[in-house]
Amino acid sequence: MVSNDVLVIGGGIAGIQAALDLAEMGIQVHMVERLPSIGGKMAQLDKTFPTNDCAI
Amino acid sequence: MEQVAGDVGSFQVKVRKKARYVNENLCTGCGACAEKCPTMVVDVFNAGLGNRKAIYKYFPQGIPSVFTIDATACRQLGQGKKCGVCAKVCQAGAIDYEQKDTTVELDVGAVVLATGYEVFDPSVIPEYGYDRIANVVTALEFERLLSASGPTAGHLDRPSELALEREIEEAQKELKKLQRQVSQLEEKHGKPSSEIVRQFQSGGLGESEDLRKWALLAQDLSALDGRFQSMTHRKASASAARKLAFIQCVGSRDFRFNRFCSSYCCMHSVKEAMIAHEHDNGVSSSIFCMDLRAVGRGFEEYKLRGGKQANIRYVRGRVAEITEDEAQNPVIWYESTVSRQVVHETFDLVVLATACVPSAGTSDLARLLRLELDENGFFKTDPLAPLNTSRPGVFVCGCAQGPMDIPESVAQASSAAARAAEIVAPARQAVG
Ligand SMILES: Cc1cc2nc3c(=O)[nH]c(=O)nc-3n(C[C@H](O)[C@H](O)[C@H](O)COP(=O)(O)OP(=O)(O)OC[C@H]3O[C@@H](n4cnc5c(N)ncnc54)[C@H](O)[C@@H]3O)c2cc1C
Ligand code: SF4
Ligand code: SF4
Repeated sequence: MVSNDVLVIGGGIAGIQAALDLAEMGIQVHMVERLPSIGGKMAQLDKTFPTNDCAI
Repeated sequence: MEQVAGDVGSFQVKVRKKARYVNENLCTGCGACAEKCPTMVVDVFNAGLGNRKAIYKYFPQGIPSVFTIDATACRQLGQGKKCGVCAKVCQAGAIDYEQKDTTVELDVGAVVLATGYEVFDPSVIPEYGYDRIANVVTALEFERLLSASGPTAGHLDRPSELALEREIEEAQKELKKLQRQVSQLEEKHGKPSSEIVRQFQSGGLGESEDLRKWALLAQDLSALDGRFQSMTHRKASASAARKLAFIQCVGSRDFRFNRFCSSYCCMHSVKEAMIAHEHDNGVSSSIFCMDLRAVGRGFEEYKLRGGKQANIRYVRGRVAEITEDEAQNPVIWYESTVSRQVVHETFDLVVLATACVPSAGTSDLARLLRLELDENGFFKTDPLAPLNTSRPGVFVCGCAQGPMDIPESVAQASSAAARAAEIVAPARQAVG
């Protein structure tokens, strides 16, 4: 029996993007993050290159 | 994650859900608890540059928007003392000191690893003085200094000044305490302290223990007052950091630590120098690099724009040493490849562009999932199928695979999602 769900480990920008894409395809996603909030390192950044837009 | 069984198509995974000691369904994120919590903890999110409380939200915009108790720091949970302040102020009744870790069991068809990276700890490079010199910071710490929601509200205050501020605050508290004690004694004896101190110093105070204590207290007070005055004086003459240096390849491209290039740090130094200049047009930056790697769409233009518009000077060479002068300014020693001489230059603040290293816990995860790691400790992938780990059904994206910037991490994440979907989607169709 193949399960329909996907596990994403890590809730940084990569994990969030993967989870959102999967959810949009209608797939049930479980996300595991070791810290109290998702966002990863990007949340700690002020603005990002190459556009100098604000991070999260 | 604690346990994994099964194989591609059906992995049985056990995950430990850590107790928050706050009921997620009840907490409204109002923050009343943190306001009243008496316990201060160094704030990891702000890269140690500020403080937070024992009950906290990892960062203001953090998702989920609920608070968590740091059990080791909390008086009630970790220190065995009576506190319970947060439970008293919480109107939602969300605080639950009895909450326990729970185990969640999942059955999943595929796994996407996105565990990211850690910042290299530069204190292992003694010549850069990271743990000795206050005004040498990492690029991540500098991001927090630049941030409007950071510990300095975006002002480029130097860490030495932040430390001074804290010292002044403490001295002020101590000063008040001493002043109170001394003035009580003055009232009690109806004499000014100066008289007692004079008698004490000339040896004419006699045997009285009480008076001796008073004299010593009064002496302490005047010494502390002197220190306080000089600190506030120093504080008043301190100015924000304006002359910045960025040092590239700290822990990268260095055979002692990591041979690889961390790929994004050249660009984030240019970015940080540009943003600092946006905050204050008087800021000038020198970026010390072996070569500045601007490989990516629009990156070369970005670098040149920074040089022209943001007062950035690119200096070719590897910095040999950082020392500190009496005014706590870092001094950079390097060989100028232009004049072929060893030169030194003083800056207000030095920012270290630290390497991207495997995230803590990577090897534990690899063991649990039975995955191979590459020679640098990141998850090993197939060169021709860069999202595949050594095990079918387990994919990796972002910095868990190796250093890469955000656009690349996002592109990989979408690809990894698609690969995972290939495995579970047929099952989905069959079901429904
Ligand atoms: C100072 C600095 C400035 C930067 N500036 C830019 C920039 O301007 N533009 C740009 O494109 N890039 C920039 N970068 C690079 C950028 O930070 C990364 O490309 C990006 O954050 C990678 O995202 P990620 O999701 O792979 O990893 P991370 O952001 O590290 O996220 C990983 C997540 O997984 C979690 N995790 C780790 N291990 C486990 C585990 N065992 N179990 C559960 N969860 C786990 C972590 O807590 C974290 O939330 C910068 C980097 C630095 C250091
Ligand atoms: S725990 Fe209670 S007081 Fe604290 S943020 Fe949540 S609702 Fe507010
Ligand atoms: S991106 Fe630049 S600073 Fe970072 S390791 Fe590579 S060359 Fe060095």
